[in-house]
Amino acid sequence: MFKKSFAMVALVLLVCVGFTASSQGAAYPSRPLEIVAPANPGGGWDAMARTINRVLEIEKLYPQPVSVLNKPGGGGAVGMAYINAKKGDDYELVVYSPPLIINTINKTFSQPYSTLTPLAKLITDYQVFIVKADSPYKTFKDLMAAVKKNPNAVKFAGGSSPGSMDHLAFCKVAKLAGINAKDLSYVAFSGGGEALTTLLGGNVAFVSSGTGEVLTHIQAGTVRALAITSGERRGGPLKDVPTLKELGINTTYEVWRGVFGAPGMSKDAQAWWGNTIKKMVTTKTWKESLEKLQWVPAYEDAAGFAKFLKGEEKSYKELMTDLGFAK
Amino acid sequence: MDFLANFWSNVTLGFGVAVTPFHLLLCFVGVFLGTLIGVLPGIGPMTGVALLIPLTFGLKPNAAIILMAGIYYGAMYGGSTTSILVNTPGESSSVVTCLDGYEMAKKGRAGQALAAAAIGSFIAGTFATLMLMLFGPWVAGIALNFGPPEFFSLMVAGLTVVTSLAGRSLVKALFATLFGLAIATMGIDNQSGVPRFVFNNPELMDGLEFLVVAIGLFALCEVFVNVADLKGAVMERLNIKGSLWMSREDWKRFWPSCIRGTLAGFFVGGIAGAGAAVASFVSYGLEKKSSKHRDELGHGAIEGVTGPESANNAAAGGSLIHLLCLGIPGSGTTAIMLGALLMIGLQPGPLLFIQQPDFVWGLIASMYIGNAMLLVLNLPLVGMWVKLLDIPLYLLMLFIIMFSFLGVYTVNNSVQDLFLMVGFGVIGYLMKRLDIPAAPVILGIVLGKLMEEKMRQSLVISDGSMMIFISRPISLFLLLLAVVAITNPYWKQIGHGVRRLFGGAPAA
Repeated sequence: MFKKSFAMVALVLLVCVGFTASSQGAAYPSRPLEIVAPANPGGGWDAMARTINRVLEIEKLYPQPVSVLNKPGGGGAVGMAYINAKKGDDYELVVYSPPLIINTINKTFSQPYSTLTPLAKLITDYQVFIVKADSPYKTFKDLMAAVKKNPNAVKFAGGSSPGSMDHLAFCKVAKLAGINAKDLSYVAFSGGGEALTTLLGGNVAFVSSGTGEVLTHIQAGTVRALAITSGERRGGPLKDVPTLKELGINTTYEVWRGVFGAPGMSKDAQAWWGNTIKKMVTTKTWKESLEKLQWVPAYEDAAGFAKFLKGEEKSYKELMTDLGFAK
Repeated sequence: MDFLANFWSNVTLGFGVAVTPFHLLLCFVGVFLGTLIGVLPGIGPMTGVALLIPLTFGLKPNAAIILMAGIYYGAMYGGSTTSILVNTPGESSSVVTCLDGYEMAKKGRAGQALAAAAIGSFIAGTFATLMLMLFGPWVAGIALNFGPPEFFSLMVAGLTVVTSLAGRSLVKALFATLFGLAIATMGIDNQSGVPRFVFNNPELMDGLEFLVVAIGLFALCEVFVNVADLKGAVMERLNIKGSLWMSREDWKRFWPSCIRGTLAGFFVGGIAGAGAAVASFVSYGLEKKSSKHRDELGHGAIEGVTGPESANNAAAGGSLIHLLCLGIPGSGTTAIMLGALLMIGLQPGPLLFIQQPDFVWGLIASMYIGNAMLLVLNLPLVGMWVKLLDIPLYLLMLFIIMFSFLGVYTVNNSVQDLFLMVGFGVIGYLMKRLDIPAAPVILGIVLGKLMEEKMRQSLVISDGSMMIFISRPISLFLLLLAVVAITNPYWKQIGHGVRRLFGGAPAA
């Protein structure tokens, strides 16, 4: 009996030793991958993480199991703390979007965004400014004229806290139009859906929102999009929505999403992901998913992404310092 | 006439889609998995649907939504089971069910409690589906009248429930409510973006997780109390007394509370869009105010199970109206369903009924079928669940501990939450010893955050004028309702006084 169990233990040990030896010797990747979604299921970050997971699996791009871990809390702060604790682990990825920069500047995150290893920018979305179908503001010019006249009286709503994306997107526009963004009256809701209900109920004048959440209402004609923050006109139901540039305000606002490695990711792993992501964004599964979720492809490699992030940091810092949100 | 003809052609279309062998199978798989998810604490409907989304890849839209909806209301169904058996709420909307459900179990009436919950859920779910079918778009239109001021006033009316949750002392209940409201202020303030009571701890930035507090105060507290009281009696059991099935007296008490719970739940969830947890509390308060057996509530009254359980199912059905007719998710779970629908390539919203009638009506028909399946599936299970109680108390306590830890950990994958839960277990024990009721704490947490948010949103909209709450008719009506509810117990006394003053005959 004793002999038998001893043999078993020895066998197990042998297998373990063999396994670690092979995993150390083998090239990257030799272990399962974890993609951290720093939010609850249902939001944009979760959808992004799960889409990457799905494409890697269906297109057989990652030879080991892949899983998504939700680390919700603090607008991504919990996820940030988690990924920073995984320093040097090559098998941890995380997805983020502009709040990564915003929360670095307002110090909601205890670690700055620059601790992460940028791997690629993947997709983007834009903001639209929408009014209810029966609103007196027929064009963006009407709206801006009213805001200029009395910024406090024209209430606008969004699905995030003051000083976060929905708020800042319009502040950026207002500032360029010569309006003191501090005079604006912003009503914060916990989610784009709530903000939209408030608009449809006639409680606020307009809403600042990502395009995805309101597309169906634009199509149905229950709301009217007055302007979009993209550089060029979008297609489909958004084809009649003028860009800010066309309206004489020379700016854009991007709601990008990208993927990062844990702090201190090894050069080998970085190189492997550089190639793999490049391959991933050309696959049929990826393209189909983007189309379904109405995400705009915006792939940029690690170097391009890092440069882009620097630019974002600068632009947000200016805007947020003006508004008193920078710390 | 036209309306009716249209209606019938839609219903036939719907059942034509839903009653195919494959769709029936999916519906069954959905409600079965949903029931399991509901029974496991922590894995609430939201996580459950999210985990099972990969199952829907490759399915046609009709099939996918039938499966997901099945999981959703299956989970709403199963949530009450652990509340009743082990005092551990499976999800936020079954916390209230603990109050009388577990008391019933202690009295050996777990079978009746489980049956009342299942039948109440069935009736409420069917009612909500019927409403969705007949008046969906219309209800969605009314829902839009619920702006922040109306929401705030609804929360105020909801807070009056506290008097009904009070044990012997209203002062102690008020203390507990304030404790809950204080906890609700933790986390990033939605209106200013400023973190409050966060202590530089990222995991506290969204405030305390509601289930962490609830499971600590109810389930773990129960364990501590038992351990302290047990001494030699460790082999005791919660015996089942008499029949498992509801008696004629039970049925007589079941109906009124089921109807009240269903209507209240549909109003709160479908029209106000305030979610199933709020609905269950409102229904409990309503029972306390209008039930014939109000004095028994809190000591194992069947009304205390039927009302809230009916209400949370009616609310869940109601929030599907928001999803399908407006494309606006009314709860976390419907938000996930929205995401899954997008993946399938469907856009819920105002156009869905026109562009995809077979999809919408197929879903509605499958909800009828699913609700019926749930009833058939759950009633025989009652006997099995009740057997779980037929074990020595010390083993049951171990089960409670296991379920609590498992449940709380799966909410946020956080170890810190476990420590907090144990802390609240200790607080719960102290409160119990001091005779301070725990339920108002939960009510404070559920309502506090929303109430503050909605009040401040209203005040931004009105430039700081409080008049916004009384100048809008729905809001004014709800506030008056709150006043009536609070002053209700004193009317008789005032009446006495007035009569004596004017020399009338003193009332008996």
